[in-house]
Amino acid sequence: MNGTPRPRVAALALAVGLVLADSSIVVLALPEIYRELDTSVAGVTWVLVSFNLVMALAAVPAAHLARRVGPGRTAAVGLAVFAGAGLACAAADQLGTLVAARCVQAIGGAAAVTAVLELLPATVGSERRAAGLWAVAGATGAALGPAIGGLLTELVSWQAIFLVQVPIALAAAAPILAVARHEAATGVLSAELRRTGRPHVSANLALAMVSASIAAALFLLVLLLIEGWRLSPIGAAIVVSAMPLSALLGERIGRQVPSARARAAAGAILVSGGLGGLALLPKATVALTMPPQIMVGIGLALVLSALTETALAGRAPQAIHGGWTISARHAGVVIGLLAVTPIFTHDIAEQRKDAIDAGTAVILDSRVPPLTKIDLARKIESRLEEERGKVPTIGSAFEPLPEDPEEHDQVVQLREELQDQLDRAATHAFSPSFAIAALIGLLALLPIGLARRVEL
Amino acid sequence: MNPAARAQLLVVGAIAAAILLVGAYLAAGGSSYEPAKVQDPCKQRPWRNPESLQEIAQQFSLSALDGAACELGVSREKLARALATPESRERFTKRYGIGDAQLARAVRAGLVRAVDDAEEAGALNPLIAGPLRTTLRSIPLNRAIELINDAEALLDQAQGFLGPAQDLLEQFLP
Repeated sequence: MNGTPRPRVAALALAVGLVLADSSIVVLALPEIYRELDTSVAGVTWVLVSFNLVMALAAVPAAHLARRVGPGRTAAVGLAVFAGAGLACAAADQLGTLVAARCVQAIGGAAAVTAVLELLPATVGSERRAAGLWAVAGATGAALGPAIGGLLTELVSWQAIFLVQVPIALAAAAPILAVARHEAATGVLSAELRRTGRPHVSANLALAMVSASIAAALFLLVLLLIEGWRLSPIGAAIVVSAMPLSALLGERIGRQVPSARARAAAGAILVSGGLGGLALLPKATVALTMPPQIMVGIGLALVLSALTETALAGRAPQAIHGGWTISARHAGVVIGLLAVTPIFTHDIAEQRKDAIDAGTAVILDSRVPPLTKIDLARKIESRLEEERGKVPTIGSAFEPLPEDPEEHDQVVQLREELQDQLDRAATHAFSPSFAIAALIGLLALLPIGLARRVEL
Repeated sequence: MNPAARAQLLVVGAIAAAILLVGAYLAAGGSSYEPAKVQDPCKQRPWRNPESLQEIAQQFSLSALDGAACELGVSREKLARALATPESRERFTKRYGIGDAQLARAVRAGLVRAVDDAEEAGALNPLIAGPLRTTLRSIPLNRAIELINDAEALLDQAQGFLGPAQDLLEQFLP
């Protein structure tokens, strides 16, 4: 083959990281897309769901295509499609167009990421090293995705997320073109085709369940931070960076334990425990999300790599089994999102009503003069009308603050008490969904326990 | 440490960390961190040390809201929001299928209950409470809503009337 291995290894890893980052990169941009495209919470979820659903469906067929047409050509074309669809995503001014472009992006991504697994062994020298590199590149991309997406949304716009991907995808495709040209000239692949073995059912099933749990965790936490606690996308990006940073620690811990089953079980328990913590937040404070996030981060690094290794170990061809793991992971993401979205949208609506009643009770019971109360009630009523269907923001209803010092203090105290009720409502609205995600993560212990022991 | 022991330690450590986190958040009140529940308006609420006229007026308004909300079968908070503006009142009556006559009856009943509560709390002289009840039972709806929103003027007038009347009574009493 042509080209030096090092740039090609970097390009292949970049391609995998880029595509798998895309399954979560828009998470922090969803509130912005939700407002700009004037859609519903359930509708905007499809920006995320569509990509993961198509990835789940296309991964295995794409892996077969890579084996037939040639992994170099498949990867190069896949990355070009991914880049082109990225442009269409950035240009979309309607939810339908954006979702359609995301589906095309996922087809290109599935082709690229599975073909890369077929190219890696020849480039790095062994199937085991190739599988390890592929898993690490994918996990890194998936973990960094939300933070990068949040930064781009805050500093530029949500469209920037997709525009930035275009040159990166083309840069990753450039070194792969040499392989594609070589394939076109030699046509070596048909002779290398081997019979495909059965996928590792329990490892892939566990992978799907854990991915459902992790996707729900990330999605819910971002919505809680931005829509519930009113953090900016950049603020939320910094907060959720705790998860990928802890994943680095999880990866180091994982290297000390050879047993894939122990790593998978410990990882699933940590993810579920972290989600249990998020379901039981005792106060609306960013600091209290840190211990659960650290647990989820360490857990996801342990469980995702252990299960991917188990699913790939001793199985050939790698691209097909890699396709199954991609399919399982993304199917899990879809299940996770679809399972929790209706629950938390219903709970947000219910908590909104409770928050408004509790807030009104606080205003009525306060010692603020009656005419100030009536004025506040009118302003809050109009804020509620403006923010129909969401947990409302009420800060502006208190402006300007009274000049009389005693009344000023009473109004400030009232504002704090009212904000506390809204924080309670926003946080509580997410609790059942976090609890369900925790339960899905725990249930993954069943297939992990059933998995045939594979010591790598 | 051998690989098997490391594997066991990892799993046991994960279980311990999960239990510790969930237990700590539960102990810190994680299971009850939710908006305060509103009270039943039909239940009597004690008045909190009404001293100034303004505070008496506040308690009076709250009692009146409780009484009216109890009559209508809604929470005091819902009714308070409904009475904030003519538009919110219209939305409320439409949503609950309440006519103006029914609303007027409920608001008047609420005001009468407020007089009862004020009298019981020692914030309103019994001499004025009786005539006030009679007046409130036939007051027009808009005026009744104004009184709920700002009872200070009503109570001020009542006290103003009561002052000379009480002086007069005291002259004749032993």
